[in-house]
Order: sequence, then structure tokens, then C-alpha cells
Amino acid sequence: MTEVGSLTLAVGLVLAAYGTVVALAGGWQQRRDLIASAEHAAFACWGLALIATAALLHALVTHDFNVEYVAAYTSSTLPLNYIIAALWGGQKGSLLFWLLILTSITAVVLLQNRERNRDLMPYVNAVLMAIAVFFFAMLVFITPPFERLAFTPPEGRDLNPLLQNYWMQLHPPSLYLGYVGCAVPFAFAIAALITGKLGDVWIRTTRRWTLFAWFFLSLGNLFGAEWAYLVLGWGGYWAWDPVENAAFLPWLTCTAFLHSVMIQEKKNMLKVWNMVLVILTFLLTIFGTFLTRSGVISSVHSFTQSGLGPFFIGFLALSAAVSLGLLGYRLRLLKSENELDSLISRESAFLFNNLVLVGIAFAVFWGTMFPIISEAVRGVKITVGPPFFNKVNAPLGIVLLFLTGVGPLIAWRRAGWQSFRKNLLPPLLAGLASGVSLAALGMRSLWALTSFSIGVFVLAGIVFEYYRGVRARQAVAGENAAVALLHLIGKNRRRYGGYIIHVGVVMMYFAITGTAVFRQEQQITLSQGQSFELGGYTLRYDGVEQESTPHIAYLRAKVALAQDGRDIDVLKPEKRFYKKPEQPTTEVAIRSTLSGDLYLVLGGFDEDTKLVTLLAYVNPLISFLWYGGLVMALGTAVVMWPAAVPVREPRTVRLRAPEPAVVD
Amino acid sequence: MRARHLALSGLLAGLLCGGAILHGWAAAPPSFQELEESLTCQCGCGLTVHSCNHLQCDSALPLRAEIREQIKLGKSKEQVLAHFADKYGEKILSSPTRTGFNLTAWVMPFALVLVGGVFVVLVVVRWTHRRPASPGPGAKGAAQAPSEHQKILERELEEFES
Repeated sequence: MTEVGSLTLAVGLVLAAYGTVVALAGGWQQRRDLIASAEHAAFACWGLALIATAALLHALVTHDFNVEYVAAYTSSTLPLNYIIAALWGGQKGSLLFWLLILTSITAVVLLQNRERNRDLMPYVNAVLMAIAVFFFAMLVFITPPFERLAFTPPEGRDLNPLLQNYWMQLHPPSLYLGYVGCAVPFAFAIAALITGKLGDVWIRTTRRWTLFAWFFLSLGNLFGAEWAYLVLGWGGYWAWDPVENAAFLPWLTCTAFLHSVMIQEKKNMLKVWNMVLVILTFLLTIFGTFLTRSGVISSVHSFTQSGLGPFFIGFLALSAAVSLGLLGYRLRLLKSENELDSLISRESAFLFNNLVLVGIAFAVFWGTMFPIISEAVRGVKITVGPPFFNKVNAPLGIVLLFLTGVGPLIAWRRAGWQSFRKNLLPPLLAGLASGVSLAALGMRSLWALTSFSIGVFVLAGIVFEYYRGVRARQAVAGENAAVALLHLIGKNRRRYGGYIIHVGVVMMYFAITGTAVFRQEQQITLSQGQSFELGGYTLRYDGVEQESTPHIAYLRAKVALAQDGRDIDVLKPEKRFYKKPEQPTTEVAIRSTLSGDLYLVLGGFDEDTKLVTLLAYVNPLISFLWYGGLVMALGTAVVMWPAAVPVREPRTVRLRAPEPAVVD
Repeated sequence: MRARHLALSGLLAGLLCGGAILHGWAAAPPSFQELEESLTCQCGCGLTVHSCNHLQCDSALPLRAEIREQIKLGKSKEQVLAHFADKYGEKILSSPTRTGFNLTAWVMPFALVLVGGVFVVLVVVRWTHRRPASPGPGAKGAAQAPSEHQKILERELEEFES
């Protein structure tokens, strides 16, 4: 099977190169036979990537330790789910997985557009195939996944224990779907630049793909945070690690694009800016892939250092040069009649939202790269860690949250006093009231008061918008509240789904604020029967228990948990000792409630004294981070939900939307 | 002109606020946790000394002991951090210092947003001026004195579009 895998990759490289050239030629000469041939090549590449992936999975599952990748990332005792996860657990497999997603998405895009966008599709195919050429080439020449060893080791080195976690099965696939999904709007944007068809067709066509990419980037980041929270055992979920930052960057620019594109759709403005954002987002996905693999910056997430770095830099530079060159070439066509009615308008709010999002992206990029810049300029290696990112991004994040509230409420075109009083004043007062109440209740942190007050302002604005919409429907169509709400959302899923996403964002802000400002922690060494208190809980150490499987040896501390004098739970934080890589890991125990988590880490156990050392953290509101993610997912589903076949409504019940709808 | 003044005032206010924040941070009294968070653990975990959860960490434990010693000496935060930077090199600090070239690390993100903000304000004002003061084909003199109908229309549009 591995020979088949190697062969399919080599054939795939040739076919992808053929597809790129022929698609370009077909588009240029308007020859249907060439265009069709290039599309067939793309489908063939998808099939070949699928076979190659199946071949590697086969080698992994059958423990073919003669294959270097299998020996490096699995063992005969590794559970099947982690054997499958090993596909993206190492450098070579993850690149193959990247390629599989790319070719699959290319096939879906081609199938979706069989009957439409025929002038754009040859170039879309060419761009996606050109990206595939790069990944095929990496897999054939630089990191061949089917490389065999000169001997067959009796056992594999096993998957890194830190990766043997449920969330690692979801985090990389989600992130890759997000990364690769960004290639679709990029390909359409480049096709639009090549053909000069710079209207909003490419934007309308890629709207769902952009949301798809954004959705999976969001999930990927969130799953990564969950993994870090459970596995790394330091009580936090985001350490501003370079690789975390690399995944966050395209999310920021993609979010900016999702907002600014609305202005292009509505006002036919910002065409150049939107192109820049699409190109930047794609380049940042490649940058993220490069950063993970190049070893240029040390990170706990990085793959082993390899020779991939220069090739990725080359690909990045080439992609930037071609796309920005095309943008420059078409600049004149992209100029639009930029007209606005007022500085105080929703259009302006969106522009400022874009500015802050890009500003945060720059701050993250700048901080991530600053150690390299500093070394180049001063010859001094420095560290840019969490304190820098928190201090720089916190004020920008607060401004962004405020704009999240203002954007949907401020009027399009021009917001006057009437509109301010009607739309913005009530939520502003609600936010202010919440701030005053929290201060009266004893909250003294200015950051927390600001964040919670603005969060309440955003939520109040959304509730107000829903309320107004439902009342309008009730008044005109005579519907009951539930039906009116459903119809309201159904009639403008993009707007009201977007509000749901904003609710999720606010929940995440609450979680970030809660954990950053009000976290409590304690490290303590106890003998059996001793207890301590933290965050309203009483924790009593009740001894340890041990267990061993062929794969892992476990040491668990039993900690009885009481609240208000009542036993409520028993937590069992673990130390695991993985037998194959001979590596200890920490498995935290968490008692999770809506108001916060009690997070318990077994630090150590002394066999002689029988003393146990525990690290305990109380993370207020952290559940809002995960539930906020769920709410965001729900909102995205609403926005992406396919439109029903339009049915003409009888005149008597036809409603005017409260806003000129930007329907999906 | 008004827009330019507005933009420049915004820029100035932003710079002052940024400066005040930076100064506030620098002048904050040191605490053990604050100093722990200002230093990077050298064990390779990539976390701060405070966050490193390797209980027997060869790096975090001695660093914590040294922080306690420095606090006992009554030093300010800057003095303690300078001590660690001198002894272990700048890479031990978890964030860049606010002097010399390192200052650009702190200033650039805010400068970009502030300059971008000024740019956005100026551009939006320019785009706003491209529109006639009061629209309406054939409405002679409407720019000077909007009619009652015009006012009603504007008000309704505002409510409709909000």
C-alpha cells in the first residue's frame, strides 16, 4: 500500500501541475476542452490524495513500523482513535491531511459551479491546483510520508502523550478545514482579478465558503484552547504561544472581511480593501502553516524542525507577489464611487471595526515576530510572552467589543439624535446600570467593570433588536411571539444569526474577563485527611489509587469536595506515565459549573512521606468560553442555513423588513 | 478643517492615554505574582514563572526564590527586573522592556491603530463631502432650506434604516 501511496503522490504532483497550466490556458483561450480537462485533473488529484491518505492510514493501523512515520508516531498499544489522530500528529501526515482537505474542497467547489461562474472557474481551479502543486511537491520531495527505514523496529515511538487527548482529534482537523477553506475565497478573488470581473459575483459565490472557513477557524482555535486547558495543566487556556497566534491571525482578518464585505454588497465600496483582506487571510493561513513547521520560533506546538521553512517562505512570497501584483494591475477597475452620508453611521462603525480587528492582528503578528526582529536589529534575543499580548490587546479588545455593540444599532447612512435616542441610548443605559450595580456590589477592577458593562450594552442592544423585530411582525402579521421570532430570523438569517454570533462573542469576553481578573489559585502539600479551602470549596485529600494498563500507568489522588459543609463531589487528578515514550503527563480534574471551574492538578506524590502536592485553581465564568463557542456555532448555522425556495407571500401579510435586508 | 482637528485631537488623546497607561503600568508597585509573571521560565515550557506548573522545575523554583530575595531588598519592579535581565539576559523577561528599540514593540500596534483611525476619519469625511448636502433631483434650493417633506423623509429613512 505504501508504494501505491508514494506513486499516487507523484502522479498527483504531475496532474496538479498539468491542471494548473491547462486551466490557465483554457481560461485564457476560452477552450472548453482544456477547462474540462483541468477539472478532470482536479478530480483525479482528489482521488489520488484520498488513496494516499488511505495508504498511510492503512500503514498506521497495521503497525507497519518499517514506515518511518508509523514508527515515529504510533505504537502497537496505541488506541485506534489515536492511531487515526496520528495522521495529523506529525509533520508528514499533517501535510498529507492538508492536501486531502484542499483537493476535497476543490472538488466540491468545482461540482458546485458546474453550471455557473464559468468565466471564473478555470482560474479558480488553477489557483487551487497551484496550491495543491506546492503541497504535492512537499510530500514528494521534502517530507515523503511513506519513507521506509533501513530496518524494521519492533515497536514504534508512540504518539506524543500530550496529543493523546480527545480534543486533539478535533482541534487540528477543524483548524485545517478553516485554513484550507480560506483558499476558496482567495481563489475566487484571484480569478476575479485575472478576469477583471470584479463585481460582487465572486463575493456572493464565496460567502458561504468564507463563513465555513471562519467557522472552522473559530472552532479550531476554541478546541485548541480546550485542549491546552485540559492537557497543559497550568490552569489557563491561551498562552499566546506563537503557534496559537498563527491560528488566531487569519481568524482576525477573516472576521474583518466578513464585516467589511457587507459594505461592498450594500454600497459597492471598499473593493480594494476587501481584496486585501482576502489575500491577507490566505497568506496568514500559509504563514501559520509555515510557523508550525519551520522551527523559526520555538513553541510547544511546533512540529520537529525540518527543512520545510525556506519552501514555505518561497511559496508565501510567490503567493504575495502574484496576488498583490494582480491587485495593483486591477487597481483602476476596483476604484469605486466611495460616498458616505455621515461619519456617524453604521458604515463608519464597520470601518472602525475593521481597523481594530486588523490592529489586533498586527499587534499579534508584531509580538510574535518581534523576537526575530529584535535579534536581527540588536542581536539580542528577547521573549514576547503573555503579559505583552494581554496588555496590548486588552484595550483594543475592549474597543472592539464596544463597536460590536454599536455596529448593529447605529443607522446606515446617517445616525441622528432620533436614531441615537431610539436605538443606542437604552442599551447604553443598560450597560451603564450594570457597571454601577457591579461597582456597588464591590467589583473594583476597572478592566472587569468596563468589559462587563460593555458586554451588557452589546447584549441589551441585541435583545432590543430582537424585541423590536418581533413586535413589528406581531403588529403587521398578527403572529404570536414565538412564530414572529422564527419568521424574523428566517427572513433575515444573516442579520439575526450574526446577532447570535455576537452573543457568543460577549459570552467569551465574560469568560476571558472572569478568568483574567478573578482567578484564584493555591499550591499546597497535604497528608491524607488534611483539607484546605479555595473559592468557597473545601478540598480534602483522601489518599491515592494506582492503576496500570499495557499503555499507561496511572496515579490518582482522591480529593473530596465540599461546599457549605456538604460533600458534593470527588475529584481525581492524575499523573500518567506513558510506557512507550516513557513520559509523564498531567491529567487535570475539573468540577465545572456555570459560574466557574474548580481545576485541580496533581503536582506530585512522595512515596516515602505519602504527602501529595496539589495545585488548585478557581476559574470564574470559564464555562462561558465553551458555551459562547456553542452559541457562535448556532449563530453561524443560522447564517449559513440554506434559503428556502422563495414563495410569493400574499400582499396582505407581506412585511417590510425593519432594514433593507442583505439577504443570503 | 473640523474633521482634521477632530482627527488630530483623537490622535493626541490616544497618545496621552497610551502614555498614561504605559506610565501607570511602569509605576505599579511590585508584588510577588507580578514579578513571577514578568519572568519567563527557562525550562522550555514557554510559560511565565508564575504559570509553570512543573513543581520541581529546575528553573522556576530557583527563580521564585530569587524573586523573594529581591523583594526583601526593597527594590522596585524595574530594579528587580533589571537585576534578572543583567544576570540571565533579556530573554528572561516575559515582555520587552520599554526602552530603546524595544519600545517599538509596545508603540507600534497603538500607533498603527491611531494613525489608521485618523486616516479612516479623514477618508470618511472626504467621502461624505462628495455627496450633495441635501439630495433630491430637481429640488432647487433644497440644500439651503430642506422642505418639511424633506425633513419627514429624512426622519423616516433614519428610523427605517436603523
